[in-house]
Amino acid sequence: MEPPTQSPDSEYSGRRVLVVDDDRLNIRILSGILKSEGYVFAEASSGERALEIYPSFRPNLVLLDVMMAGINGYEACRELKRLYGDDCAPIVFITAKNEADDVVEGLAAGGADYLAKPFQKKEVVARIRTHLRGQMLAEQQKLLVAQLSKANAAKNRFLGMAAHDLRNPLASIRGLAEFLRDGVVGDLTPDQLDLINTIHTASQSMLRMVNELLDVATIESGELKVVPSDHNLCELIEKSVYLANIDAAKKNTHISFTPPVAPPSAWIDAAKIQQVVDNLLNNAVKYSPPGSRIIAEYNWDAQHRSFGVKDQGPGIPENERDKLFKDFGRLSVQPTGGEKSTGLGLAICRKIVEAHQGTIVAENLPVGGCEFRVTLPVHS
Amino acid sequence: MNFKGSILLVDDETHIRKYVSLILKQLGATNIIEASNGEEALAVFQSKKPDIVLLDISMPLLNGLETLKKLKEMDPECTVIMLTSMVNRQSIDEALALGAANYIRKDTPKEEIATAIKETIELRFP
Repeated sequence: MEPPTQSPDSEYSGRRVLVVDDDRLNIRILSGILKSEGYVFAEASSGERALEIYPSFRPNLVLLDVMMAGINGYEACRELKRLYGDDCAPIVFITAKNEADDVVEGLAAGGADYLAKPFQKKEVVARIRTHLRGQMLAEQQKLLVAQLSKANAAKNRFLGMAAHDLRNPLASIRGLAEFLRDGVVGDLTPDQLDLINTIHTASQSMLRMVNELLDVATIESGELKVVPSDHNLCELIEKSVYLANIDAAKKNTHISFTPPVAPPSAWIDAAKIQQVVDNLLNNAVKYSPPGSRIIAEYNWDAQHRSFGVKDQGPGIPENERDKLFKDFGRLSVQPTGGEKSTGLGLAICRKIVEAHQGTIVAENLPVGGCEFRVTLPVHS
Repeated sequence: MNFKGSILLVDDETHIRKYVSLILKQLGATNIIEASNGEEALAVFQSKKPDIVLLDISMPLLNGLETLKKLKEMDPECTVIMLTSMVNRQSIDEALALGAANYIRKDTPKEEIATAIKETIELRFP
């Protein structure tokens, strides 16, 4: 960009200032000052007139006399703030006396500042410039925020589309690798089997990552919809534990879960909560040393249902605790079997649990390892 | 499972057809006909009268829901299992309302896909 060639005096020339005063002399003095600075200015002789002119003139700054016939300056200010809210130009009051009460009431009505009569030219110029600069920065900021949120929405759409389109081919690769591995199309040599297993594991972890990216895109675009109904959460946990134990067995780790007698149901979106349960169980396996014992639990009281997983991993480093449930919040703790992670799993869990008005917490256990606990309210 | 009927498998992606037909063969199916879009599916359905249709939801030309509607017009009793690539509750509900017998997410483990197909077949052809 070219450096500005204008002199500092005319930095804001062309900005629009609305002067509201029922005293002709004041208007004349102020208009002289404003014109010398290169501002475009409009005048109004009453609060009512100011409200009329405002929408067509769209000022960047309003200089507003307090004492006027008809509605006074404070009322005009409150009305402008009510009509235009955050988009309203900054309002600077013109007060005859520099009294604390006037200043306080003016600021309370939504004014940005005040100018005391009689005017000191240098002060008027400096204050107007300050407020125009603030107004311009606020305008630029608003534009920037709008551009950024548009870009972010586009990113989420792209992420969602890409992840979605990658999912089917990955599912096929994983499934076809399983058919090869299982000898459906003929026997394999040990070397061939080893390669096929690598393809299978890689596509499986890619599929998991793609699903997590897709979840984040869905959540970020505000499309995470939780549709809860009455479900047997205990049975859901039992099924997830059974499946997670298949992977756990590869690390000689075991997840134990003793279903309690007559467990009450829970008010959940079953598919979403299953995702949370799976994620916590998989994490426990992932971060525990081979040969560990992991304990899953289902508890309840009159108002809550809760699911917990205790592992024998390294626990959560205290100084990294704040990262735990954040997007891409990978900790220094490493999976013990070379498993992959996007760092999105727990962030997704937290969002799903919060969408159920529940909580998810993690505690290091005194005996080592840590416990993750999800608590969900019962349906009222 | 000992299902000797014919199955029409409709998906625009070749790898999915290859993958799902292997699952079907493992279930014992021997008569599998493939179609790569909705138009083709309707033509095959009319000429070959398959017992079961596995139908992808998102396809170019004629999508799965439109195809399902036309299949049901031709034969209100036909057994159609929808194949989906995500949990899109709205299209699934729409498909079930149109008379689909079941739905399957393509990215679930193949054992689960097999179980869902098997259960539907056993229910419809006891």
